[in-house]
Amino acid sequence: MSAVFSGIKASTFLAWKSIQRGNRGTLALTIMIIALILVNLVFLPSIISGVVVTFDTQSIDFDLGNLVVEPREGSQYIEDVAVLQRKIERIPGIVGTSPRIAAGVTYSYRGRIAASTLYGITPEDERSVTKIADRMIAGEFLSNGDTDAIVMGTTLAGREGEEAGGLPSLQGVVVGDSVEVAYPNGERRTYRVKGIYETQSFSVDTAAFVTGREMSGVLGLDDQASMILVKTGVSGREDAYKRELLSYGVQEEVRTFREKSGGFVDQAVQSFNIINTISTLVSLIIAIVVVFIVIFINTVNRRRQIGILKAIGIGQQIIINSYILQVLFITTVGAIAGIGLTAGVTTYLTAYPLVFPGGPVYPDVEVSAVLQSVASLFAVSVAAGYIPAWQIVREDILSAIRG
Amino acid sequence: MIVAENLTRVYTMGRVEVHALAGVSLEVAKGEFVGIMGASGSGKSTLLHILGLLDRPTSGSVTIDGVDVLALSDHQRTLFRLNRLGYVFQDYALIGELTALENVYLTSLVRGAPKDEYIERSADILRQVGLGGRTDHRQSELSGGEQQRVAIARALMNNPSILLADEPCANLDSQTSKSILDLFARLNEELDQTILMVSHEEWHKEYFCRVVTLRDGVIGDMVECRKM
Repeated sequence: MSAVFSGIKASTFLAWKSIQRGNRGTLALTIMIIALILVNLVFLPSIISGVVVTFDTQSIDFDLGNLVVEPREGSQYIEDVAVLQRKIERIPGIVGTSPRIAAGVTYSYRGRIAASTLYGITPEDERSVTKIADRMIAGEFLSNGDTDAIVMGTTLAGREGEEAGGLPSLQGVVVGDSVEVAYPNGERRTYRVKGIYETQSFSVDTAAFVTGREMSGVLGLDDQASMILVKTGVSGREDAYKRELLSYGVQEEVRTFREKSGGFVDQAVQSFNIINTISTLVSLIIAIVVVFIVIFINTVNRRRQIGILKAIGIGQQIIINSYILQVLFITTVGAIAGIGLTAGVTTYLTAYPLVFPGGPVYPDVEVSAVLQSVASLFAVSVAAGYIPAWQIVREDILSAIRG
Repeated sequence: MIVAENLTRVYTMGRVEVHALAGVSLEVAKGEFVGIMGASGSGKSTLLHILGLLDRPTSGSVTIDGVDVLALSDHQRTLFRLNRLGYVFQDYALIGELTALENVYLTSLVRGAPKDEYIERSADILRQVGLGGRTDHRQSELSGGEQQRVAIARALMNNPSILLADEPCANLDSQTSKSILDLFARLNEELDQTILMVSHEEWHKEYFCRVVTLRDGVIGDMVECRKM
């Protein structure tokens, strides 16, 4: 045991002296490369994770809530909505429900026409599920008693003289303007624009809302809805809540927001993961190559020194371990620097997020992902450092000394 | 005590076989200062390398202090070099990243000696070889003679039973060489240190108890030079 301990002490001594008195430039460069590799290992997954988080958050907060209850197969509308709402709201963990009537409509404004979805909602209920009411950039959100008011997304409202890149846009609607809506049953209504909102979720920002009472009147509905959005107390447990709703006797179709999205996120995540895997492999290969080259050059340059060490009775394992310890030092400092750089980049991108079609994407750095990346980096670095050290140390003493 | 019997060492260079040693038998008693001399290519260094466990003979046997050193594994040979032998190379062979003191105490560190003890002893040995004021200097800051003294101090650090020196004065001027040889002679006389030294300088003979002269891989002469 004491031999092992003194061996480790000797390896540490040799490693530290080599670091302390070796080439500082090479050391700094190697540490920098390791740091950048770690940034690359952590950064891309954090952006992918951020995209998923953004999509989930946008879906839950503005588009779909956590769960969506839809009509039974073969039915166009959910019947007895009030009763169903009360039933769902009694389930523990459910914090709100919002029935919506959806209709594909055509908007007319100053000769400009746009087609998109118009929702009929109960404003108070909608406030309990989505955060659209908090994202008004002009005017106000709907009130329960409104009958001639409409609120619309910023994309649909548009800007004077600006196309919206193929998205529906009335190009310049402002609060107080009148917009004519043509319903699918041929009815036409003119609404005063009460407010304009911006959620940065394009499907929501191209839609508009009137009260459910108004829309029911136009479409001739009574206590019916196209869907009921359900807000749960905790996000991330949608599948469990879905089972809960079904166990409470909800007969309608219940889907989580992910299911409702048609697997779009899952497909996107799968594609991102392929890119991420390739990126991770490339990063780790770069790490292997860099550490291998650095240690290989180091050992080749010290071939004679290694021979001398062996000649005076320093064991092979002590010499190999001294190189492993140097690699551990380089990787540790590199990892710390990499974590620092990642923190800097994350802070910057949190302040100035990347803008995706689904909304602003903030890097979502998961501790487990960082630990995994650091562990991978250590594993490949140690392996890449061990091999050249082991190769040189096995060489015959006299050949090594003669160089 | 060293007992070497019928040592041969054949190097194969392509199709050519070079017989560096062609049957050398030698006994070195404790406390002897033996000079191994001979012309270039006579097999002096090869013999020293084999006796210093840096190389293996093609045939023959070597016993040091009763241990059949050729039967040892590589690991056991490493430990034997660490604990029983001290080796001084022609070109000093110091570790450039270490100071004189660190070069000297490195082997004691490996042996697991207490830090205070090995620092004190290495400083003391450096004082004995006349480098008390140069302990914190690195190889590049020392003259050739000083580097060789550090190498000798390193070889002595673990109280080796045998000190092997391979032309330690080859790169030194005559005055520095003399001081190195005086040091060896003092170690031999005062500490009863067994020393095997390879040399090709005739004037070194006056320091040796016995001179073994090699010619073409065999012992030509074996001459007593001075009383032990």
